[in-house]
Amino acid sequence: MALKQSENWIHRHNYNVRICHWINVICFTYLLLSGIMMFLQFPELYWGDVGFRGYEAIFKLSNWGLTWEEADALGNRQWGRNYHFLFAWVFLFNNLIYVGWNLRNRHFSKRMWPRRDELHKDNLKEELNQHLHLRAAKGDAAKKYNVLQKLSYLIVIFVLFPFMVISGVAQMPAFTSISPELIDLFGGRQSARTLHAISTLLLVLFVVIHVFEVFVAGAINHIRAMITGKYYLPTEDKI
Amino acid sequence: MNKKTGTLSRRKFIAGAGAMSGILLTGCDTNIYTPPVIRSGLMGVSDVLTMASQRLLMSGQGLVKEYETSDITKDFPAWGRTNPEDENYQQMASTGFTDWSLSVGGLVNRPSSFSLQDLKRLPPRTQTTMHICEQGWSAIAQWTGVPLTTLLEAAGGVKQEARYVVIDTYDGWYDAYDMFDVVHPQTILAYGMNGKDVPQGNGAPVRLRVERHCGYRNLKFLKSVQVVASVEDIGLGKGGLLSDYNWHWYAGA
Repeated sequence: MALKQSENWIHRHNYNVRICHWINVICFTYLLLSGIMMFLQFPELYWGDVGFRGYEAIFKLSNWGLTWEEADALGNRQWGRNYHFLFAWVFLFNNLIYVGWNLRNRHFSKRMWPRRDELHKDNLKEELNQHLHLRAAKGDAAKKYNVLQKLSYLIVIFVLFPFMVISGVAQMPAFTSISPELIDLFGGRQSARTLHAISTLLLVLFVVIHVFEVFVAGAINHIRAMITGKYYLPTEDKI
Repeated sequence: MNKKTGTLSRRKFIAGAGAMSGILLTGCDTNIYTPPVIRSGLMGVSDVLTMASQRLLMSGQGLVKEYETSDITKDFPAWGRTNPEDENYQQMASTGFTDWSLSVGGLVNRPSSFSLQDLKRLPPRTQTTMHICEQGWSAIAQWTGVPLTTLLEAAGGVKQEARYVVIDTYDGWYDAYDMFDVVHPQTILAYGMNGKDVPQGNGAPVRLRVERHCGYRNLKFLKSVQVVASVEDIGLGKGGLLSDYNWHWYAGA
């Protein structure tokens, strides 16, 4: 019995994934908080090149129960700027290392790139169904990432993360002296700022679902696996 | 006690590492890649990375986008300080700034004083650009004024040891700009906005335009221009009013 149980321990995450994951948790927390602290002191979003208080806005925090003055009092741009820039650098280096490392050891191609059969409509439907019924994977299926995990991780790492960096850098006043085309591509300077905020919301949504799924699939087991690398494989239900 | 010393030296080490990364990026002249004073700890490393990487991208000294006159924003905001309390300023404002003059001193060959008329006699530059506030807003206006380099030439040119241009204003603000920004063609002292005199709220009679920087570094209500070799004696010695309050000197975004 004891022997059988010990066979259930598998090695789930390599140490690079584990280290980068927790550094990203710290970065994300600081970037989100410092971003909010800056946003609170200018709590409106616009589209196009131009936008200021009194100009036609597409989002006003004051319509959501917090007046400009109240938001301003809660925010802190100095703290926000300092930590946003600092953790943006940590975040950038951390993810460059993560991507470089895992491209090299073929983590992406072996474990994260969806196979053709996984992308088949029936399989996607089945996976989605499992998720919506909060049924966690067991046995062999729990050894690998499921296709929805793979897709959401790949989108976050290769689409949203680069987008956050580029739409952030595009907000520097000097940016049009370097690449005016990119600002036009965003639809203007204020659009870049707005898209940076929307992309933030998508990342927050990802984190919420991600943490929720960890609890569905067994919080202790999964958090332990992300810290130590060891994962206790849940046995398949006996019929 | 020992622990305290350890912390300090580690900080110094990190700040040193920040400065080193600036040196490695340039090979020789680190001046344009690093702020005059590097903040302690990790913030200093972050500052140098931010400034060095942005300056590297800007090394071609390209111009920021200039817009069409039709793009000019109506109701351009008058943000921040809009009416300096300074008595001299109020006195000059009441007589249409005919008594106003800008002193240009420090490490220039011929320290001089320029009235509004003197400035207008120098070859002007007009640019329609986007003002981008550090807080987040942006608006487009047309500015007419004297390029800072033209002004410095009119004061006999700068001496060899000149590194920064320090600008003081009538609302008590001060900031230092390094030569990388000083020589940029779009760095002008603007006396005209959208074809008229600069309105009071936007910095009458003359404001600075450093188009590659956040709005707050485009100082309003100019009082004096001073060329220096080091920012040591300016304010608390960190290169500007906001950096004295522990903001990043370069800011950059």
